[in-house]
Amino acid sequence: MISVVVNGREQELEAGETVARLLERLGFTARYALVERNGEPVERARYAELALEEGDTLVVARPVAGG
Amino acid sequence: MSRTDPLVIAGREFRSRLITGSGKYSSFAVMRDAALASGCEMLTVAVRRVEFDTPGEDITAYVPDDVLLLPNTSGAETAEEAVRMARLARAGGLPDWVKLEVIPDPRYLLPDPVETLRAAATLVEDGFTVLPYMLPDPVLARRLAEVGCATVMPLAAPIGSGWGLKLRETIEIMVEERIVPVVVDAGLGAPSHAAAAMELGADAVLVNTAIATADDPVAMARAFRLAVEAGRAARLAGLIEERATAEPSSPLAGVITKA
Repeated sequence: MISVVVNGREQELEAGETVARLLERLGFTARYALVERNGEPVERARYAELALEEGDTLVVARPVAGG
Repeated sequence: MSRTDPLVIAGREFRSRLITGSGKYSSFAVMRDAALASGCEMLTVAVRRVEFDTPGEDITAYVPDDVLLLPNTSGAETAEEAVRMARLARAGGLPDWVKLEVIPDPRYLLPDPVETLRAAATLVEDGFTVLPYMLPDPVLARRLAEVGCATVMPLAAPIGSGWGLKLRETIEIMVEERIVPVVVDAGLGAPSHAAAAMELGADAVLVNTAIATADDPVAMARAFRLAVEAGRAARLAGLIEERATAEPSSPLAGVITKA
């Protein structure tokens, strides 16, 4: 198991889990999931391949209502 | 009119000159219906962290087809924060168009011109189409155009205030010295304000609060659409010069009670 922080909350994952798997685990199925890993934006095309590592800090954001 | 008079931003043609915001609606369904009634082809969204315990609905599922999502950088107080938000949005698949807002002041929500210019330069270099929110300042407008911004978006009055075209004179100078399209954004409270902005030569307006918080947002969206079309048509038609005194519309000669 590895531990990462997602939006300020600790999350246990299997070693080698990808961004896509994390989103699935979190039950987030909206059209746009915007992901930042350790301060760097992650291209959507890489969600399915990018394996997370112990200690990673992630921000997951989305479009919301705004002017 | 609209077919022969497109709004062109960064090479992309829009028939509608009314851009709307998606904030403050009572529901996403009302937002969608209002967007449709407004005829808008561009709709702003904000970007926020997901609350996984209460994710709620996906607003993008309610955005009408063919409407361009325009992510904003609301919440950014510095250039770095704005750039970070824009890059995150683009990496996640949102368009590479960005409504750039850098706002350090919570009371009047006025944009920071220095940080906005810095962020704009970085984002343009990074390949974004940048639409910066700004105080109406013709010199800043020139600087923003020079670094490659696709529009300038001067505020008419503070966001959500509904005061109307309080900064009219400086917006007029910006229109006169227009390098890129001038989109009047924020503070418009009534369709007449939007029409006035179009009459003075703005290329487009952006409206959110005045539509979203009206008693009937869908009807108000239609009212704004009509006002923007009327104002644009009047601008193209050529408004008359104001005169100091009256000028009769009927002939002075041959009045029947006069010999």
